Amino acid sequence: MASVEELREFLPRTDCRRCGLTCTEFAASLGRGELTPEDCPVLHEPDFAGYIEALHELLGPAPAAAPAMHIEVEKCNGCGICVTMCEYHLGNCDEARLGRGPRPADKVVFKVVNGAVVVLHQELCTRLVQAAEKCNKCADHCPTGAITLT
Amino acid sequence: MCLFKPTGVQGKVEVGQQSVICTGCGCLCDDLDVAMAGGQLLEVSNVCLWGLSRFFPYKRFHPKKERRRILEPLGRLNGRLQGISYGAALEHAAEILGKARRPLIYGLTNTGSWAQEAALQLARNLKARLEPADLAFKAPYYHSVRKHGLYWAPLEVIRDEADTVLFWGANPLHSCPRHLVRYSVFARGRFTERGVEDRQVAAVDLYRTEVAKFCHLFVQVDPGQELHLLKGIREHLQGSPGPGPAVKGTRRLAGFLSKAEFGVIFFGRGAVYNQGLAVLDELGSLAAHLGEKQPFVLFPLASDFNSGGLYHLLFNELGVPEAPDFGHEGGLLTSAAPGDFDEVDAILVVGADLFWFLPEDQGRALQDRQVPVVSLSPFANRTTSCSQVVFPVALVGLEAAEVAYRMDGLPMVLKKLLPTAWPSDREILLDLMKAV
Repeated sequence: MASVEELREFLPRTDCRRCGLTCTEFAASLGRGELTPEDCPVLHEPDFAGYIEALHELLGPAPAAAPAMHIEVEKCNGCGICVTMCEYHLGNCDEARLGRGPRPADKVVFKVVNGAVVVLHQELCTRLVQAAEKCNKCADHCPTGAITLT
Repeated sequence: MCLFKPTGVQGKVEVGQQSVICTGCGCLCDDLDVAMAGGQLLEVSNVCLWGLSRFFPYKRFHPKKERRRILEPLGRLNGRLQGISYGAALEHAAEILGKARRPLIYGLTNTGSWAQEAALQLARNLKARLEPADLAFKAPYYHSVRKHGLYWAPLEVIRDEADTVLFWGANPLHSCPRHLVRYSVFARGRFTERGVEDRQVAAVDLYRTEVAKFCHLFVQVDPGQELHLLKGIREHLQGSPGPGPAVKGTRRLAGFLSKAEFGVIFFGRGAVYNQGLAVLDELGSLAAHLGEKQPFVLFPLASDFNSGGLYHLLFNELGVPEAPDFGHEGGLLTSAAPGDFDEVDAILVVGADLFWFLPEDQGRALQDRQVPVVSLSPFANRTTSCSQVVFPVALVGLEAAEVAYRMDGLPMVLKKLLPTAWPSDREILLDLMKAV
């Protein structure tokens, strides 16, 4: 399963919002299986020929896995508490551990983009790696209840 | 994310700026990463919804509703606002302000320090009153500081050392959302390595807010009980609780504060809604009493991004962080209380939305008296719709370089990121000064 970052590489990245979302939000929705590459109107333009097929290849033939983490963008106010509390970031991202935003080069589970949290590398989430000890820190500390873990 | 990769196949993202300063609130977060292409913003990382409204024309906390950017200078002709030239707008505004007997310059807390300096100079020239938009919030605090001589610490020291945090009438999730993560509750500092687990957090408010979710103690009071609660806490700490029933939570709050090794009381606008001067006096007295044994800071949680800069300027120039009135007959008069607008016959609004903050009766009285308003604003708001002259301005920290003071008094340089056709607040104020 491709990460949001990889999916985003094959989107227009202009945030035109013709689909109602930013490109990063669209990529996250693609990963969750809520949208298909055809839902992006810009990808149908000649300049982006081949992108839809590339996205389908990235997404794979199998249906997307059940979402482990769901963010309600309407509720999120971008405070970044989840980013700082994340167990993975605690050991792997100094900036997030100290309360600052991750740097662009940092590989993180999620970060705040345009005022809302976007999941970038769900595969890094401690919850998925160590199934025995379920980590709920992001959802537990979210003051607006925007994060749901399944 | 690969926001800042060199242009590849897609080739859309041209420029990336890292560590940009956000002018969303008094935190002035300096870790924003901005992606741009062709002079347009694409994406801003690490920005809260509050700060996002500074970068994109979305309404605060209503990201789906867009605000209208003012595109040209507007003048009221035959009762309607119509586009006019910059020169005509300047002339019209200069005429309004020049003719006024008791002009008022209002706002300035949401603009840069250079513009604030120009506004102060203009107030001197016009013999006007200058009133900060958050005077009712900050003036009682400075009064308390002068009376009690309080301990002070920058936000980094609070992050590193504070183990007890009390929010009084403040909801940082709405006024400055990243404050909790960067400095006060969740941040991991030098001596607070476990973040929220190394801190005790409490809050006092009229309503149960989202802050309650991570507070170890949340005290909900009725309106008017704040003073009683504060006096009760102080009496408990002094070991002599007074007779009569105490406000619910008094004993627990006193116990909470007494265990602090380094404490902070962050107060918000909720602290000054009712008997603000007395509440801040009591809060100052409590912080001073607690500060006798260990460091204890009383800290205003300013939501306007350069509120600190304005009071810094007023203190430097006038000796008191209060609203100066250069038109007073007996010489310069400073006031800690907001004016009643009864005498005012012309208003210049910069970096604030006057009619949003004014009580409805005061706003209506101004309109009934047909007091002319000149406003400088990047976006259409209530004040611009009631103005005689409106100047569109560049967004500070995005389209115009400026200096702003963080809520703890740290000056920060804001860079210009995008080209713009609109002049800055400062340029318009300097032009007005020449024209009046």
